[in-house]
Amino acid sequence: MTGRDDMDAGPLLDIRDLTLSFRTGGGLVRALNGVNLTVGHRERVGIVGESGSGKSVTAQAVLGLVPAAEVTGEIRFAGENLLAVPQERMRQVRGKEIGYIFQDPLSALDPVRSIGDQISETLRIRGVRKAEAMRRSIDLLGRVGVKNAKERARDYPHQFSGGMRQRVMIAMALVAEPRLVIADEPTTALDVRVQAQVLDLLLELAEERGLSVLFITHDLGVLSGFAERVVVMYAGRAMEQCVTDELFYGSINPYTLGLLESLPRIDGEVPRRLTTIGGQPPSPAHPPSGCPFHPRCRYAIDVCAARVPTLLTPPNGSHPSACHRAQWLAEQPGVLR
Amino acid sequence: MTEPILEVTGLTKEFPIGGGFGRRKETLVAVDDVSFSVLPGEVLGLVGESGSGKSTTARCVMRLIEPTRGTVRFAGEDLLALRGPRMRRVRRGMQMVFQDPYSSLDPRMKVEDIIAEGMVIHHVRSGAAARRARVRELLELVGLRPDHLTRRPANFSGGERQRIGIARALALDPRLLICDEPVASLDVSIQAQILNLFKDLQQELGLSIVYIAHDLATVRHLCDRIAVMRDGRIQEIGDRDQIYGAPRSEYTKELIEAVPIPDPIRQREKQERGAALRRAAKAGPPAEVPTPAVAKAARP
Repeated sequence: MTGRDDMDAGPLLDIRDLTLSFRTGGGLVRALNGVNLTVGHRERVGIVGESGSGKSVTAQAVLGLVPAAEVTGEIRFAGENLLAVPQERMRQVRGKEIGYIFQDPLSALDPVRSIGDQISETLRIRGVRKAEAMRRSIDLLGRVGVKNAKERARDYPHQFSGGMRQRVMIAMALVAEPRLVIADEPTTALDVRVQAQVLDLLLELAEERGLSVLFITHDLGVLSGFAERVVVMYAGRAMEQCVTDELFYGSINPYTLGLLESLPRIDGEVPRRLTTIGGQPPSPAHPPSGCPFHPRCRYAIDVCAARVPTLLTPPNGSHPSACHRAQWLAEQPGVLR
Repeated sequence: MTEPILEVTGLTKEFPIGGGFGRRKETLVAVDDVSFSVLPGEVLGLVGESGSGKSTTARCVMRLIEPTRGTVRFAGEDLLALRGPRMRRVRRGMQMVFQDPYSSLDPRMKVEDIIAEGMVIHHVRSGAAARRARVRELLELVGLRPDHLTRRPANFSGGERQRIGIARALALDPRLLICDEPVASLDVSIQAQILNLFKDLQQELGLSIVYIAHDLATVRHLCDRIAVMRDGRIQEIGDRDQIYGAPRSEYTKELIEAVPIPDPIRQREKQERGAALRRAAKAGPPAEVPTPAVAKAARP
């Protein structure tokens, strides 16, 4: 698997100007507003955002799983625009070329079929003989840390604990040897010690198999150890995009800065009060004018209410931020701490 | 010495499991000989993983379910020995805030009525005018606006709903709040607002709080003292600085070490340490949470 060709130039996944709207009782509602995002070969990219930011919708759009009323832009996977391919082709891409792991393994697994049956299905529907498909599934089940894999393959989902179920989901996502794995909050439902083990496993497998990973989470702590590059989303837009360390030590976006400041910490001084971002995230049905974050932003100036900022690298900055004050922020030494 | 407002001794809750279809009847001990106390104005954290018994402990303290054994003394009274109206009058002094601000508010009621309901039931501040004045006061206290009064829960975000739930809990002037994962379903930026509100309330009103959570970072921010639970038992109980700085039990150490931190360089080091430890312990079984299926089944 490691000998896979990375010949095609450019990133493995390249999302360009993706907009997406849902039809609701009150008309069309924009969930994504021109998202640009890339995942390179063997790269782990994290999307972080709060509920309603569009992080999950972005992932589902890549998999062609959103019943959207209107989609524009491009989702290029290995050069192919997934928004333009027929359903038939999309079914091949899902599972075979792009694997996915969801938050809640219990609702993603069929309760009345054995684990081995479910893992090997992805292979069988692609023409692998039953015995061979089962053999490969059992191997992988062992690899993801399920003991006595051969016997356990005959068990049903309810016979596994939460952490073990998530390992089964990982095996399902990887069995067809995809190049890209999309993981949507894969550890959110797990207890903290199990979360650490599952993250560790994902990291190991990604390196061992040369996988690209698009990792979606609301947890900046989880992201900090897993992702090489990060995209921060807010109100259906990418607000900041950079390598992980730059985000945590040198953000030039007020929303990111606000998020980092509002986190309670496990060590260091305990502040009397947490710094908060005032107000609420905007409703997608009634977005504010200009920058979607300006009503809550302490650095907002007149232009912020008037014009939507583009995701650009400011002249003296190191990475792109969708903020009219990005250049000013880049000039401030240690805005955060 | 200050008298504790809440004193729990030897609290035990057993649930029958199995039975039927010829299977043997067994008992699950969800809470196993738990003792702790809370001083006036103190915030006590109850932390643990799922199935550790922290929520069941809270329910027993509130007498929402009957404990199997043990005593609960609240404001000097033996709560478990009381019956009927007298029990309800004493219990009024402790109120609960729930995790899910969506399912814990009646969608058909106006905010005003949700907050006032307890006062009506307990005949506190009889007279509509007095009640309305108190509701307005509470609304301001939790950071909502007077024009919110006539709206229904559906018009509010998760954070605002949690504020409504808190106002409702405060309506009967409790001395103790029991909060079960009150920020677990909120977004990061909203979570910080609610944590600050709890701190303000605790300081302004001199409230005692039992704060139940699985998230060790919010617990550290809010709590003076922390009890770490596992499999229905308290593993250790201590001051915040002791628990986080010098945990005595191996389990507490493991929990704290496993929390991912928003600091990539240190988080990568942490993961390296953890992975190395797990590789070394590969011979043994992974430290899975024991039998969550059983723990789930036991939830009433």
